[in-house]
Amino acid sequence: MRSRLRHASWGKIGLVAIVVLYILWSLAPVAIAFLFSFNAGYSRSTWQGFSMQWWTGPKSVFNLPIYTDAIRHSLLLAVLAVIITVPLGVSLSIFLSRWRGITARPASFLATVPLVVPELVLALALFFLVTKVNLPIVTLGTSGQVVGQVTFILPLVIVITIGRLSSIPTGYEEAAQDLGASPPQSFRLVLVPLLQPAILASAIVAFAVSIDDFVITQYMSSTSSTQSVPMLIYTATRGGATPALNAMATIMALTTIVIAAVGFALYRLLARREQITDAPATAPALAVSREGAL
Amino acid sequence: MTPRRYLLVLGVPGLIWVVLFVTLALYSLLAIALGGLDPLLLTPVPAWNPLEWSTANVHEVAQGLQPFSGNTWIVFQRTCIYILIALAGCILIGYPVAYFTAVHAGRWRGTILALLVLPLLVSYMLRMLAWVGLLSPQGWVNAVLVPLHVVPANYGWLDGRAITVVSGLMYGWIPYFIIPVYAALARFDTRYLEASRDLGAGTGSTFFHVTLPMSRQGLLAGTVVVALPMFGDFFTNGLLSGVSSTGMVGTLINTYAESQTNQAVAAALAVWLTVFLAILLLPYLRSSARAGREVGR
Amino acid sequence: MAGGHIQITDLSRLYGDVLAVDHIDLDMVPGEFFSMLGPSGCGKTTTLRMIAGFEDPDSGQILLDGVDIRHTPPHKRPVNTVFQAYMIFPHLDVYENVAFGLRRQRVGKDELRRRVGAALELVQLEALAKRKPSQLSGGQQQRVALARALILEPAVLLLDEPLGALDAKLRHQLQDELKTLQQTVGITFVYVTHDQEEALTMSDRIAVMSHGRVEQIGTPREVYDEPTTEFVADFLGISNLLSAQAVSGVAGECLLRVGEFLLTARGGETAARGQVRCVVRPERVDLEPADATGPNRVPGTVERLVYLGSATRAIVRLATGQTLQSLIPSDGRPVAFEQGSAVQLELPADALRVLKGGGRAEDAPDAEQVLGDQLEGAADA
Repeated sequence: MRSRLRHASWGKIGLVAIVVLYILWSLAPVAIAFLFSFNAGYSRSTWQGFSMQWWTGPKSVFNLPIYTDAIRHSLLLAVLAVIITVPLGVSLSIFLSRWRGITARPASFLATVPLVVPELVLALALFFLVTKVNLPIVTLGTSGQVVGQVTFILPLVIVITIGRLSSIPTGYEEAAQDLGASPPQSFRLVLVPLLQPAILASAIVAFAVSIDDFVITQYMSSTSSTQSVPMLIYTATRGGATPALNAMATIMALTTIVIAAVGFALYRLLARREQITDAPATAPALAVSREGAL
Repeated sequence: MTPRRYLLVLGVPGLIWVVLFVTLALYSLLAIALGGLDPLLLTPVPAWNPLEWSTANVHEVAQGLQPFSGNTWIVFQRTCIYILIALAGCILIGYPVAYFTAVHAGRWRGTILALLVLPLLVSYMLRMLAWVGLLSPQGWVNAVLVPLHVVPANYGWLDGRAITVVSGLMYGWIPYFIIPVYAALARFDTRYLEASRDLGAGTGSTFFHVTLPMSRQGLLAGTVVVALPMFGDFFTNGLLSGVSSTGMVGTLINTYAESQTNQAVAAALAVWLTVFLAILLLPYLRSSARAGREVGR
Repeated sequence: MAGGHIQITDLSRLYGDVLAVDHIDLDMVPGEFFSMLGPSGCGKTTTLRMIAGFEDPDSGQILLDGVDIRHTPPHKRPVNTVFQAYMIFPHLDVYENVAFGLRRQRVGKDELRRRVGAALELVQLEALAKRKPSQLSGGQQQRVALARALILEPAVLLLDEPLGALDAKLRHQLQDELKTLQQTVGITFVYVTHDQEEALTMSDRIAVMSHGRVEQIGTPREVYDEPTTEFVADFLGISNLLSAQAVSGVAGECLLRVGEFLLTARGGETAARGQVRCVVRPERVDLEPADATGPNRVPGTVERLVYLGSATRAIVRLATGQTLQSLIPSDGRPVAFEQGSAVQLELPADALRVLKGGGRAEDAPDAEQVLGDQLEGAADA
């Protein structure tokens, strides 16, 4: 909005101040925590000089199994979560948005329930399901953690995908079938390419949420080998953990930020390429501006 | 394969998953809450058959919920107070930030948005970890405040203080509050503002009579996005306080859940909480459906 | 490519409790340009979609060259569609869009390249093969849609208001091109439109539809000059609808009473009797000075004259109260009449048509009575 106020009013100055202060308050603690991972001493709260000991060397985050196992486990869970949730969620979204029948409504409602109950309730429910019912494959531990995370992330994927789907007219799939593509082919060759931005966004969100998930991952864990980074941070923070803890936490945060940044750049590229032209609306404007081209 | 059959192939795996891991899971929770206790092992036994439901656990929780006297009630009351204060903070700080970014940011909008999204990519745990470092007796917060005589030396911020927990809640969830409010405000057609000014309303009047009412939906959405997780939160208290006297409902449920014998009580309390939140959410869901119609979406 | 023979029998489609298509029968001549014309909601698009396979009929048959395709899924039907919104795949360039259907048929690489090239040439888009749809104008996108469908050599091509989104000049140009294309290629075109001028210009035959039913099928000249129902008369061209009493007549002729005037009509349902509706096209209505005499003339006053350039439209109020329009072609000289002039309107007998849905024989007033009135009138004059 082109502000009609040519002079900066007090209100506007105040707003800018709030925004700047907020951003500093929001990010400074994390930057400081990152800083402390280079602390020369064992403290995570008093600065004792600069050192790389927590990053390289015998006491570093990469040398102690407790940290490396947690990092490895978190990454494992995240990859599994993305691999399962994205296809599952995208397929379910297509069904929910295109199906003409009574099942679609209650199914959509059920799928989004995890968004309206606190994660603790869902974690507890899944815990009981897995411990009191003899399910094949799914038990407490990695399998349970993956299942829990997928269930928690699924509604987010559905919301993202259905949002994008509602702007894709069914006409494209009809056109594909009209030209001889069977329904599976029209799905693979037309719908999925058009959904690429949503699929990418879902993957990034799924990764970020999985890496940072605590409650469900904790409740579905079994032995110490199923400890994720958030779980380790929770246990170790109030204890005498060294700044290697800060290093570990920062590594995960940086991983997520880098993946999100790369993903975002890719998303912008894809969305621009896949521009869906709404022929009836844009055609007259284009026709007028490109008279000579015919 | 007909189109209809193919849609089914796409939908069935997801439907099975949801039925199993959402519906059945929540039913297990209910079955435990309304179930019995194994006399020998003292572990909860789920009552799958509704005819076998026993209200023992639910009753126990209900007793604890006796207004003003029951232990559960006290925790619940504390939870509501903490959340209300944290929400107030979120609104007072978050709304202006969202408003500025959506309406006045101009060419800085992209950068500011990136900075607002950044905390979401940094795990909640790391952000709390950062504060544990800062709030420790020798930490930087005291290093600044003690010389200014705001607090005595070696002040124990992390020794079970409500202010620390509430601030932690607010700090943790504000980024999640700002995004929906921003989204709602960004969709806001600024021509309404121009129309208002055209009709003679000043800046303040325009804000109170046009902008604020129209951002109501966004504020509501932000509140829901943030308040719901707060009701289940136990880790903020666990990290920033460590004592149960500042614990919320989530802490209580978690504590019960950690002991085998009390798991059924944890389940019952969780059920109570869910019902309570569902009742609270109903007007929001209806309001968002109505707002969707108003704008002609 | 030979044109496919489409035969539709007793086709219906129900939406809730509304019959969008009401038991219609259509028999299209192989290789013809067949249009379905009507206002929105008349069922033309639904019928087209049922032929394509995107909607399931509730009753009836759809025969293509004698084979019922009603239960064949759309991707297996040898019919192709040009959609109203073109539906060009945004993620593929022009070449890939046109090649799409052919790739599903697994033709060899060389043959594919040859046929895509030929199709692009047919619609004059060879230069734009590598462009993306978002870089094309509306007219260009429409050509891509055409090429994409025609390359598959379907027996029948279905077109759903393909020119609706384009401006007038472009539309006229593409109408000509489509008609030429259809004649060159020789396949059956089934064309849906709400624009009567478009249908009249391009079609070999037109089915005029309303409320799910076919009102009339005929050549453009037939539906325009010889409308059988009031709807068709009103939908095509300017309507000059007249209410009258059909009192008597001989074979091929009908005596109509309009107010106190008697007119002979030689078109349409000349056997109808009683209260009827009639139509006469404005181009056939002649304006004459008030003192002109002769049969089939009704006096009136010129209410308004509208100059159209190539003609002048005269809106005349008859002595009987009804209003008719007359179209006077411009011949370089100013029109002899002006607002308020008293005139005589001639409604030539073979231009005057009695429409269907009118009276029955029992409603006819007594013929002798009418004759008696005439003689009385003549005696008084």
